[in-house]
Amino acid sequence: MQPVIHTEALCKRYGSTVALDRLDLTVEAGEVYGYLGPNGAGKTTTIRLLLGLHRPSSGRARLFGLDAWGDPVSAHRRVAYVAGEPFLWPALTSAETFEFLGRLHGGTDVAYRDVLVERFRLDTRKKIRALSKGNRQKVQLIAALATRASLLLLDEPTSGLDPLMEMAFRECVKEASERGQTVFLSSHILSEVEAVCDRVGILRDGRLVDQGTLQELRHLSAQTVEVTFTEPAPQLPALAGVEVSSAGPKALRFEVSGSIGPLIAMLAAHPVATLTSREPSLEEIFLHHYEGPGGDVGG
Amino acid sequence: MSAASPAASVARRAMRDARVRTISFAYLFGAIAYIQPAAYRHAYPTPSSRVAFAHSFANNKAIRLFYGVPRDLLTVGGYTAWRVGGTLAIIAAVFGLLAAVRALRTEEDAGRMELLLAGVVGRGTAYLSALAAVAACVLIIALAEFAGLLLGGLPAGACAYLAVATASIVPVFVGVGAIASQLAPSRRMALELGGAAVAVFLLLRVIADTSSGAGWLRWATPLGWAEELRPFTGARPLVLLLPAAASVVLLVAAARIAAGRDIGTGVLPARDAGEPRLHLLSSATAQALRSERGSLIVWLTSVGAFACIIGVIARSASSAGISKSLQREFAKLGSGSITTPSGYLALVFIFFVLAVSLFACVQIGGAAAEESGQRLETLLALPLGRRRWLGGRLLLAAVASVALSLAAGLLSWAGAESAGVSISLPRMLEAGANCLPVALLFLGIAALAYAVVPRASAGIAYGLVTVAFLWNLSGSLLGAPKWLVELTPFAHVGLVPAQPFRAPAAVIMLALAGLTSVSALWAFARRDLSGV
Repeated sequence: MQPVIHTEALCKRYGSTVALDRLDLTVEAGEVYGYLGPNGAGKTTTIRLLLGLHRPSSGRARLFGLDAWGDPVSAHRRVAYVAGEPFLWPALTSAETFEFLGRLHGGTDVAYRDVLVERFRLDTRKKIRALSKGNRQKVQLIAALATRASLLLLDEPTSGLDPLMEMAFRECVKEASERGQTVFLSSHILSEVEAVCDRVGILRDGRLVDQGTLQELRHLSAQTVEVTFTEPAPQLPALAGVEVSSAGPKALRFEVSGSIGPLIAMLAAHPVATLTSREPSLEEIFLHHYEGPGGDVGG
Repeated sequence: MSAASPAASVARRAMRDARVRTISFAYLFGAIAYIQPAAYRHAYPTPSSRVAFAHSFANNKAIRLFYGVPRDLLTVGGYTAWRVGGTLAIIAAVFGLLAAVRALRTEEDAGRMELLLAGVVGRGTAYLSALAAVAACVLIIALAEFAGLLLGGLPAGACAYLAVATASIVPVFVGVGAIASQLAPSRRMALELGGAAVAVFLLLRVIADTSSGAGWLRWATPLGWAEELRPFTGARPLVLLLPAAASVVLLVAAARIAAGRDIGTGVLPARDAGEPRLHLLSSATAQALRSERGSLIVWLTSVGAFACIIGVIARSASSAGISKSLQREFAKLGSGSITTPSGYLALVFIFFVLAVSLFACVQIGGAAAEESGQRLETLLALPLGRRRWLGGRLLLAAVASVALSLAAGLLSWAGAESAGVSISLPRMLEAGANCLPVALLFLGIAALAYAVVPRASAGIAYGLVTVAFLWNLSGSLLGAPKWLVELTPFAHVGLVPAQPFRAPAAVIMLALAGLTSVSALWAFARRDLSGV
């Protein structure tokens, strides 16, 4: 089957700034893909290239096998997009905006739209100019979700939403996924990605630095093992892939990348009282990728 | 910067914000102020030619429409005061209105004022800083006018007085704009209210200047006060008290309203909710028509009203007492013969060519605003091609230009008929349609500028139209070589209905219009959308 999103060595330069550097990305039909990165990492640039709004400097992007720059209109029939900033027509009410965007898209599930309006608690009689940012964001989201498009391209869609609405949004993404829609979710909110995404890509300074299921990413990163002993902590020989630090007079902390087996074997010869190990959260994986040289999270 | 007071920073930012507008208006003021005395000297070098000129103009109501009542047409100063003072007063009013609404409503509309007031800046300070910035811009413009007049060879004292007379209009209309900004809940409505006030004051001046026995009405309009200051012709500086008093009253009233209302609202209620009205939402072009509808109606009404007045006034154009040699001079002005109603209408229609050309640029400005407001990104993420979108906007602009041109023709005919002037309707519709080749050419050029350099397109489009128009008016008067004058499209417009329609020139301009439009569509499909 044709991948829904496929990019090959996709590059975008603005003057001398490299916004996106040789991106190879494949998202299969039905996946919910989380696209993570801090502000300025190149998330919005990627989406603009996927939509054919900006022209690639080199490489290419395809949606449903169609060239994103060369044949955008055919691709867009199967795409719904939520922009990072909710800029809409101030003089139209929400209901009029739905009508307008729905007509242009050429297919709207009106019954589902009414459900969404209810769920997001939107007053559709109000004009866009009278709505807060969060409410304008809801208008965009409802318009996009109600198209039931095969691919949802969402650029930080929950900015401005309150926690209740954030939960409603997650529910909608799950419904879309169950219905077989593909979702591409750009975000810098880790808990959101962790909650809804099957697969995650981490973008840093225009490069995809890591990609995989949450499971896979966890295996690649360090696990933390904390051990307490019944007597003062012993001196242990160095072990490849294991970093040791003191966690108290009778305790040690190990940061293990790769297999935990050799460490367990070594500890067996010592008087271990307790042993706890925990997997890294997505946040730790994320920070791990941003703590390298030049990798300030603020980037 | 860090040491400056908040008030000074606010004022400086407001000035930076207004720099393009200020420079454009300063250029316009300087150019008009210089051209008029220079052209008068060139065209009427001898006392006898001036007497003949004065005689023909003294009672010509048709000409007073734009410039007011001439007091002395025998001296360079008197002529300049009439031509420069009359025109610039109107432009000064527009400048004052735009500056006030920009500083006092647009900032608030965009939410930036909220940011400012959340900081260390109080409401009163913000208001005064905005006014200080406008005052600085007015000073620049008045200096440009002064310099233009001085270069035109007029005495410094009188030049300064004329510049002050023109500048005295600005604060009054800043006051009008300030009040409108407090009343209206949105920028658009503020501009509409203020624009209506300018139109009413202009109408009062037109009536005062063209109807016998209505001269007293000049005292009822700030545009009339500028005339009554009588620069170069028996100055009456005491009249300055009128604009001074009016500005203070308006600005204080606006400040009081501002102090008593919530930020982000106006005194008039905003209609911010309602049952959905689903017409004109079926396509991007239909929706563009829906959002531009208000502005279209304003254009059609003002152009139509103006055309009607001109038709009525055409009656008073007559050849009594105008020598053959003077008529040749008029021909040099590019105005044909103003001694007959049709000659007069032909002269005035060149201003409609300008108006429709500017209208075309405004339409492209509307398209550009969709992009700079980032709504275009949402549109083009839908199954809507770029060429289709821009093509729709161009078509809409072209059709609206046709409507505007024909309305000008039709209503000037109706006005003339009602005043008992017999003139053929098809001929007047032809005069209207005659606006189109130039206007569509500028539409194409504006579209191309937008497609290639979106951010600079407004400046390029309006700049080209203005320069081309002024060059047509002044180039031949200043004795520039023929080929240089003929660079402007305005030089190739046949003065219908006095002269025949110039088909070859029209065909060439329309072909160029087509070429630039097609290039615009081609270029627009090949560039990145501008985004933050």
